[in-house]
Amino acid sequence: MRKMGFREFLFIVPILLLIGIFSLWPVLQSFTYSFFDFQLNDRTKSGLYLNERFNVDLYKETSLYVDRFISQDMETITDEEDKASAQEVIDQLNNLDKEFENEDGVITISSEQKEQIEAAYENADATVQTLADNYELQQEENLPLLVEDIKNSMIESNFIGLQGYKRALQDHFVLDALQHTLVFTFASVALELVLGLGMAMVMNQGIRGKGFIRTTSLIPWAIPTAVAALMWSYLYDGSAGVVAEIFSNIGLLDEPTDLMQTGAGAMTAAILADVWKTTPYMAILLLAGLQNIPSSLYEASSIDGANRVQDFFRITLPLLKPSILVALLFRTLDAFRIFDLIYVLTGGGPGGSTETLSVYSYKVMFGQTNFGYGSVVVMIMFVCVAIISTIYVKFLGTNIMDRN
Amino acid sequence: MLIFYLVIIVFPFIWILITSFKQTGEIYGNNPFSIIPDNPTMQHYADVIMEKGIMRAIGNSLIVSGVTTIYIVIVATFAAYAISRFDFRGKNLLLGIVLAVSMFPQMIVIGPIYNLFIDLGWTNSYWITLPYSSITLPMAVWILVTHFNQIPLALEESARIDGASAFQTLYKIVFPLAAPGVFTVAIITFITAWNEFVLAITINSNSEYHTVPVAISFLRTQFEILWGQVAAATILVTIPTLVIVLLFQRQIVNGLTQGGVKE
Repeated sequence: MRKMGFREFLFIVPILLLIGIFSLWPVLQSFTYSFFDFQLNDRTKSGLYLNERFNVDLYKETSLYVDRFISQDMETITDEEDKASAQEVIDQLNNLDKEFENEDGVITISSEQKEQIEAAYENADATVQTLADNYELQQEENLPLLVEDIKNSMIESNFIGLQGYKRALQDHFVLDALQHTLVFTFASVALELVLGLGMAMVMNQGIRGKGFIRTTSLIPWAIPTAVAALMWSYLYDGSAGVVAEIFSNIGLLDEPTDLMQTGAGAMTAAILADVWKTTPYMAILLLAGLQNIPSSLYEASSIDGANRVQDFFRITLPLLKPSILVALLFRTLDAFRIFDLIYVLTGGGPGGSTETLSVYSYKVMFGQTNFGYGSVVVMIMFVCVAIISTIYVKFLGTNIMDRN
Repeated sequence: MLIFYLVIIVFPFIWILITSFKQTGEIYGNNPFSIIPDNPTMQHYADVIMEKGIMRAIGNSLIVSGVTTIYIVIVATFAAYAISRFDFRGKNLLLGIVLAVSMFPQMIVIGPIYNLFIDLGWTNSYWITLPYSSITLPMAVWILVTHFNQIPLALEESARIDGASAFQTLYKIVFPLAAPGVFTVAIITFITAWNEFVLAITINSNSEYHTVPVAISFLRTQFEILWGQVAAATILVTIPTLVIVLLFQRQIVNGLTQGGVKE
């Protein structure tokens, strides 16, 4: 193996760029989002603001009017004490004006300045309240609104740190979604493994028409999941769906409509659709593993008088273990990340009973445009995926990267 | 047992095919489970082609998947060749990242990519092919590295002694030998891109740019699902996939089992 020179380095520049921009940067960005209260439909939260910011232009305009309106009423105010506090408000605002004399637009401010502005606002608010109670002011209606604008000129930071995670861990929607995801993943992967293994063993027996079966098996894999989901939603339909009708005729359901209208029914339906779509794929992966087992091993065992059950547990399973674990790893991750099947088939319903983590995070991000909290849910998924991979890689014994 | 298996796999398609020729009244009517349509009709096909623009969706899917396939094959070939043939710092890190990318939930990239595309004004365009790299590139690289590793180094060494540059070696010696692997990668990348749903529905929300999975998912409304049209559209969009599977099943199976990656 040769050392890489500069020209050879150019070979990996495109992949570094693509993975960097479209895979790694988004992950880091999502991680960042999860620490902010980032909501696209709220103007003050539609970005990531680490510091408090101050809208100097708005403040200058506001303070000018507050100053003018209070000054106009100076003659109306008779009590000396009230006069003094009104004057204090004006002075405070003017001080702030001087402080930001050379600034314009939206700037970041220090916490001291933040306190100063807040103090000015609170004082102005209280004073205007008292004045309005005691006197007939010329701008009695507008003044409080303007004072409110002092506060509005300050844009709070939407950095919330781990608050989002804390909220998510107590959010029953997240916990329910996690539970649905685990049920879905466990049930469909377990079924797929058993059925896929059986299928692979049958296909491995050198039967006629193997090519045809292999081709047919690829069809569900190659169909877009969204298309398959819609197809199944028709087959499952309570009044026109043939599968729902068959299930109810053989006594699995009381009524054909129960399938999509009860939580357990819809979850079963989603699992079965997933099993239909991916069992053939699992079978093909396992078949490749089976074909790598030398037939001499089986010949030897038959000479020793082993039966087929013994063959299966003593030869097939141990030698197939790496293939099974690789297939299981990728199927588990796929099932855990499931989105389009459920989104199209049930939409997460009925009553959120099939909402998985993917579906829930998608709804939070694009239904409620709350990217911050949606990213928190996604990060939780990310951690789960990492845990699943670690467990499998441990079981795999060797590093999965060495399998080639 | 095999017959039973085949029936289960094929039955949904047969049923959809039957439904696509039934009149709407018959689909919902008293006897929705009859196997032969009473009054066969092509109306649903006409509807999805004329009104619902299913052909445009197929066209969009062909463009998006085709472009993705071309650039992913090129990028992955370069990368896999470098990984298979050269020693460089961070090689294992690169392989690890590629593997990790194939594992993490697609939902994790969607928010930032959406915001990026909004900022760049790239929503509702064919730029969507670029983020497709996140789901197709890892698998392509893994399959190709396996293939390159099987090509003997001696061939390249003699080419180099004859004075070929690294690029020439790749282009003239390695590439032809790796052609079956590259072809496999192309088919699997194409199907993966063809099936993609989340990015397509989020970023290209305008129906002008809908791809096949998205267009089909919009044939249902909240209150009513147009089963006849759904059936006809399903049949239409399944044909390209079927053709690919029938023609290239051997390559697909090889790719799936060698890469061992993803559905």
